[in-house]
Amino acid sequence: MSDAVARIEKLVVQFDRSGTPFRALKGVSLDIAPGEIVALVGESGSGKTVLGNCLLGLVPGGHRTRITGRVEVGGTDMVGGPEKDKRRVRRNELGAVFQDPLTSLDPTMRVGKQVRERGATAQRALDALTECGVPEPGQRIRYWPHQLSGGLRQRVSIAGAITAADPGGVPSLIVADEPTTALDVRVQDQIIKLFARLRDDHGCSILLITHDLGVAAQIADRIVVMSEGEIREHGPTARVLREPQHAYTKKLLESRLDIAGPLPPASVVEAGEPVLTLSEVVKDFPAPHKRGEKRRVLHGVDVRLEAGESLVLVGESGCGKSTLLRIAAGLETPTGGRADVPPAAGRPQLIFQDARSSLTPWLSINSQLSERLAAAGVPRKDRPARVAELLGQVGLDARMAASRPRQLSGGQCQRAAIARALASSPGILLCDEPVSALDATLAAQVVDLLDDLRRSTGVSLLLVTHDLAVAKRIATRIAVMTDGRIVEEGPVEQIFASPAHPYTKQLLEASPSLAAVAS
Amino acid sequence: MGLLKQIASRVASMLGVLVVLTFAVYFIQRQLPSDPARVLAGRTASPEALAAAREQLGLDKPFLLEYFHYLGRLLHGDLGISVTSRNEVSSDIGTYLPATLELVVVAGVLALIGGLILGVIGARDGWLAGAVRFVSVAGASAPTFLVAILLLLVFYRDLGWLPAGGRGDALAASEPTGLRLIDNLVHLDGAALADTVNHLVLPALVLALSPAMAIGRVLRSSLRATMATDFVRSASAKGGSWPAVVWRHGLRNALGPALSIAGVQVSVMLGGSVIIEMLFSWPGLGNYLSDAIANSDLSAIAGVVIVLGFAYVLITFVVDTLQILIDPRLREPV
Repeated sequence: MSDAVARIEKLVVQFDRSGTPFRALKGVSLDIAPGEIVALVGESGSGKTVLGNCLLGLVPGGHRTRITGRVEVGGTDMVGGPEKDKRRVRRNELGAVFQDPLTSLDPTMRVGKQVRERGATAQRALDALTECGVPEPGQRIRYWPHQLSGGLRQRVSIAGAITAADPGGVPSLIVADEPTTALDVRVQDQIIKLFARLRDDHGCSILLITHDLGVAAQIADRIVVMSEGEIREHGPTARVLREPQHAYTKKLLESRLDIAGPLPPASVVEAGEPVLTLSEVVKDFPAPHKRGEKRRVLHGVDVRLEAGESLVLVGESGCGKSTLLRIAAGLETPTGGRADVPPAAGRPQLIFQDARSSLTPWLSINSQLSERLAAAGVPRKDRPARVAELLGQVGLDARMAASRPRQLSGGQCQRAAIARALASSPGILLCDEPVSALDATLAAQVVDLLDDLRRSTGVSLLLVTHDLAVAKRIATRIAVMTDGRIVEEGPVEQIFASPAHPYTKQLLEASPSLAAVAS
Repeated sequence: MGLLKQIASRVASMLGVLVVLTFAVYFIQRQLPSDPARVLAGRTASPEALAAAREQLGLDKPFLLEYFHYLGRLLHGDLGISVTSRNEVSSDIGTYLPATLELVVVAGVLALIGGLILGVIGARDGWLAGAVRFVSVAGASAPTFLVAILLLLVFYRDLGWLPAGGRGDALAASEPTGLRLIDNLVHLDGAALADTVNHLVLPALVLALSPAMAIGRVLRSSLRATMATDFVRSASAKGGSWPAVVWRHGLRNALGPALSIAGVQVSVMLGGSVIIEMLFSWPGLGNYLSDAIANSDLSAIAGVVIVLGFAYVLITFVVDTLQILIDPRLREPV
């Protein structure tokens, strides 16, 4: 492929991590052909973002970073070349879209100006916004980023990425680093389709960096699988998904939670006593910047959680699901309605999305568990045995009791947080997006762990997630929420087999699945 | 909430702070074992004269009424009479304030410029940034009076380039503003202007030194954090060079914390000018205040405290307003 838009040859990137060298990329070679969409798939720490930054000529780490090999975009050396040439390539031939649309736009600059940053005319910015599906672009051009929703902000970012300096020019390569990870599934679906359309209309190549094989399956011509700084496997999308060659790819495929995956084995839940009853719960928050005004986030929600069952609340960001969970935990007072937990069920325990920050950084896991055991009235002499037992329950080695959170991986932190929640032998575990921050392989393990714990200890689960695939793996019952209301509720089989509400159907359709390609 | 509405609410809270300040000043004054009526009437005054003075000052009424009387006098610019100078405190302050104002404003501008330069250079990787960080730490930890004496030894005694103190009264015009830089510019008097500048350089520099370092340090760390954000990465990915990205995206977003610390530092400068004025025989409010303290001149002390308090409140208001101006999230609804 002599006409490649971008060419990476034997690229090695070595960072200096407080004195010790760390190789983020260990000799990576990759060509991207004109008009090709390449999905670069890998878990956190695989080096996929570093690779994207190399293509943009923006390698972080300062002067102690050592790079060998070549990265060429349009014939220009993007790692060794003079800064001036790299800037010219960035102005004319590259576009970049990053993960978090909340932070990738300058909050103090109007949207239109950011789209025109490379010197395009106002008209061109307007056209780009229109093309990227921003409604009423003529008005929006004067907006500040915080006045737009997450999806619109990502559209603005993309509009900026396709507006090269060259009048009317569209970059030949767009590097999109997890462009949909922070977005709701329905918005994710639209943005993915937008990328496909931009490629079809302009013939630009796209490097889509993602952790999700499902997103890659929807759009990519070719999939490149990376782990630990090396390319494990690459090939046409359908081939990689149907006949994965490398063990790592197989592991990724097997562990991925998919809405087309199997239902969990039916668990025998006897219609037990309710352990948590929320009735007609209403919650108002003060509206931002408007003194005295209220914003209603929950419009009279009823939830009944029975002993031993697993109820999953599914909804998109802003639907009120986390607020509902916090009310169930007693962390928020409802404006109206009641939240009842019978004393026998004990105080509900919470598990958060970001496990590492939910653990106290300077205390060992042992002290954090013992503290809870002490609070639960476990005598001092019994505590070490209980700590070991709890760690065993969540699949952590007993030797990890001495570790502090920063010495543990993300998955281990979440396990420790679950152990801590179990210390007081609660009747209810409340989980707020417990696996959203974890890599696919770990996410599946933690979901299964929660499911096992429910089956073995009889603890009831109320779990909040945006991901229907997670719900399918763990729920006995699903409640779908939008705009502060539960619009559909039923046993997991029913929600997946015959969704009744249009919103549930939209969610199911938009959820990325491998089923279409892999079967 | 619109910009004007927000500014209006800040002005309202500013007035509230001033009322509390004047009340505190008055309350403390009344608790002290000193009789303002006797001060006014004189040591040998007859009981009738004393009673007349008491009535004139509103001291024959209940405490709260006394306070309102005092507030009324304040609003008319009446700060009482200084026992030391035997002048109205307000006219004394009128004499000394411009000198302090000029010193603090010039030092404030120097501190802002210095902080900006130190902050921006320090935010980049490399040896220059390291050098700047070293200078910042050294400069911030050097005691002001030592630096002042050192500079005086070098520039006055050894080199003889700059005067030892004072404002340079011989040549200067002091109309219409009392701020010599402006007055001499108005009169187009080059020689006097040069003399004014020569007298200002050392005290302003010494006063600006440590605030410049503080502003620089805060700006540096906030600019570094800003330069690591995704929107800066986006801007770099669009081909902006480091200086261009700092100018277009970095500074405005990093300025918030630096502005807050600058407000605090300029306020501290007002207090810090007392020492500087003594060291450089600067005929300003600081010297007036230290004389007043030495002579237990309560009216003068209270007058200066109220003027300084007003300045603090004003600076805070300016900083708050600037924060609203640079960050659209603080003023435009979602």
